Amino acid sequence: MSTSTTPPGAQQRGHTGEAVLAALLAALGVYLLVDAGAIAVPGSSNTVGPRFFPYAVGGLTVLTGAALALRVLRGDRGPAEDSEDIDPDAPTDWRAVGVIAVAFLAHALLINVIGWPLAVALMFAAVAWALGAVGIVRPFLIGLLLGCVVWTVFVKALNVALPGGTVLEWMTSWI
Amino acid sequence: MAVVVVGMVPNPRGQAALQHGLREARQRAARLVVVNTSRGDALVDEEFLQGDALRRLHEELAASGVPFEVRQPVHGRDVAEELAAVVTETAAELLVIGVRRRTPVGKLLMGSAAQRILLEVDCPILAVKSAPPSS
Amino acid sequence: MAIDELLGGFADALTPLNLLFALLGVLLGTAVGVLPGIGPAMTVALLLPATYVLEPTSALIMFAGIYYGGMYGGSTTSILLNTPGESSSIMTALEGNKMAKAGRGSAALATAAIGSFVAGTIATVLLALVAPTVVELAIGVTSADYFALAVIAFVAVATVLGSSPLRGLAALCLGLYLGLVGTDVLTGQERFTLGIPQLSDGIDVVVVAVALFAVGEALHVASRLRRGAVQVIDHQGSWMTRQDFRRSWAPWLRGTAFGFPFGALPAGGAEIPTFLSYATERKLTKHPEEFGKGAIEGVAGPEAANNAAAAGVLVPLLTLGIPTSATAAIILAAFQGYGIQPGPTLLTTEGPLVWALIASLLIGNAMLLVLNLPLVGLWVKLLRIPRPYLYAGILAFASLGSFAVNADPLDLVLLLLLGLLGFVMRRYGWPVAPAVIGLILGPIAETNLRRALAISNGDLGVLVDTWFSRVVLVLAALALVGPIVLRAVRGPRPSPAELQHADAAADEDDTVRSADR
Repeated sequence: MSTSTTPPGAQQRGHTGEAVLAALLAALGVYLLVDAGAIAVPGSSNTVGPRFFPYAVGGLTVLTGAALALRVLRGDRGPAEDSEDIDPDAPTDWRAVGVIAVAFLAHALLINVIGWPLAVALMFAAVAWALGAVGIVRPFLIGLLLGCVVWTVFVKALNVALPGGTVLEWMTSWI
Repeated sequence: MAVVVVGMVPNPRGQAALQHGLREARQRAARLVVVNTSRGDALVDEEFLQGDALRRLHEELAASGVPFEVRQPVHGRDVAEELAAVVTETAAELLVIGVRRRTPVGKLLMGSAAQRILLEVDCPILAVKSAPPSS
Repeated sequence: MAIDELLGGFADALTPLNLLFALLGVLLGTAVGVLPGIGPAMTVALLLPATYVLEPTSALIMFAGIYYGGMYGGSTTSILLNTPGESSSIMTALEGNKMAKAGRGSAALATAAIGSFVAGTIATVLLALVAPTVVELAIGVTSADYFALAVIAFVAVATVLGSSPLRGLAALCLGLYLGLVGTDVLTGQERFTLGIPQLSDGIDVVVVAVALFAVGEALHVASRLRRGAVQVIDHQGSWMTRQDFRRSWAPWLRGTAFGFPFGALPAGGAEIPTFLSYATERKLTKHPEEFGKGAIEGVAGPEAANNAAAAGVLVPLLTLGIPTSATAAIILAAFQGYGIQPGPTLLTTEGPLVWALIASLLIGNAMLLVLNLPLVGLWVKLLRIPRPYLYAGILAFASLGSFAVNADPLDLVLLLLLGLLGFVMRRYGWPVAPAVIGLILGPIAETNLRRALAISNGDLGVLVDTWFSRVVLVLAALALVGPIVLRAVRGPRPSPAELQHADAAADEDDTVRSADR
């Protein structure tokens, strides 16, 4: 029941994923080194221009990425996944991750079309559904309520710029 | 052996259902299957029996002399679905549940677990509000 | 005089509005400390947009309340649920949860709360006393010294605090890279912007912090959804007895003595002092048989060390501008949001603000002591929020905060991409804190490095010109190599569970020995 004990399953997991991640980090370092060479250096600047630090970071990144990739391929494992609220033995639920990512992307693109409260309510419903909430109507209504209350507080009381959507903006125009 | 299923929650109406269930099981010479379920979607669920409360339930059932079994399914499903699954699996002849009084507004907002159970489960259901007088 | 200025700070902090923000902060902080998966760093990150609308004093008072409140909330769940949210409350959970299971939950919560209060108060007063002295010393600090300080902070956060130094470095590199994106401040050249105009201002700290902490955590939880409830142990039972007090006061003070210096060092953190405090109390106790079964000293000491370290972290933050924890880094970002750069000049330029902040820490601490014990039942009720709604709500607030920065949907796309990065990092055990610190401290390090090299006309020798920078850089090198050597010599660091089992074994030895006698 406790999260502090190391789960047996976490140790045996494959290492390809982390090796790829470490290799990507090394690739990021190479990109930094190459692209740093393309940063324009103004003639007036003295010895240390805008390229120096990027070169240093790029070098460190390449070294770290390569060293980590090697260690991982040799069988080094990271610390067990550490969170208060996950089940480390559960199989990865890629569907839930995918649904949440798509829902978040869709809401980002919808904000300027249908307003923040409605876009957030749709995202809220989709995320709650992906995480196993009952039904879809209740999550949507809860999300809509949350969106409207938060929008009203932040826009009307705190003057944050946030599109509210035609209906809500019309309804609250008297505030 | 016939089976009587009880939906158990740690509160007075759950206790009432348990008492009725014990009486029915005794009368029918049936086995009692006590189901205590959680959707398991929150970090804490006070309706899910654990620790001392679970041990007390086992002691109480053992003292009654009725053959029993306690099941605690956690599959992220609604209580109605869990009960229906147990009833089907054990071919139970009776399901006992405790119901609470709820205002129409409360029912509109929260829905009714009892109503969903009535619609979902395929066996006679005994819905009780308080413990039998004899117990 | 520090005392006069602190009194002035109280005058500022005791206005009704600021008291309200302090109360809001501690309530919010405790709530998020209790809730699974949300910590003070994520909360302060989600609330950073408040800096656009609130005046600096109110916003920072609220953040300070969240910072301290998070510690209290974390100890509550450690004791009642055995789910330590941060590595620094693992030691509290070891003994505290055992106490709760033995029906001594109230005493465990009380010794944790009072210990936190004692430690937090002493450490905050020490902060007030030490800060002006550190500032005086730091006035003569050169750009090269600063660079050395930044380097040691990088090394400490990346390698000392985590359990895998290489993964800490990897996270640091990601943060440094994100900090590079944008326009170079000194020459006005665009770097790594991929030709996207919105990136020429750099990637906003709010977006990165919210993405790594909030979105990454939500995706991580979704990927391995937990089913089933954790057992809450009742917090009834007798309160602290006179004997409990006698056994607690010394661990409180010793814990404070461990926590504050470790927090205040640029290489500190709260994890090591809580380990040390636990080990010390185990050695010094007159009741060794209780350790591993719920010894009150094992709650009192680590909990005090944890809170004292939290106050200590504010010393380098406020006097040098060096953050050594994720929350401190985000508070630094809040300062920067107001155009204030923490550093040796902060106390002179923004004196009233800093003193009001320190005064409000003391006030918030007192509020937490009064509020925490009666409200435990309420905090536990928060844990009944179903996960789907909790994480959907976190994402809604993440969207709010990041969109409010520039009102640009591209920021939200960036938030999602960085959130996916945070998810992958969590999945492979890469710590997130070094990335945030790299992002915030990286540009400061670069500016100081270039300033130092400009003065010396490019001679790298300037970096080791003063004794200060030499010592600091040597320490940084030691911190970088030390753990690797130690690991090679002694094997990996024991986990808290192993430490506790070692205790049990030692206890058995003792009992055997006393039986022989």
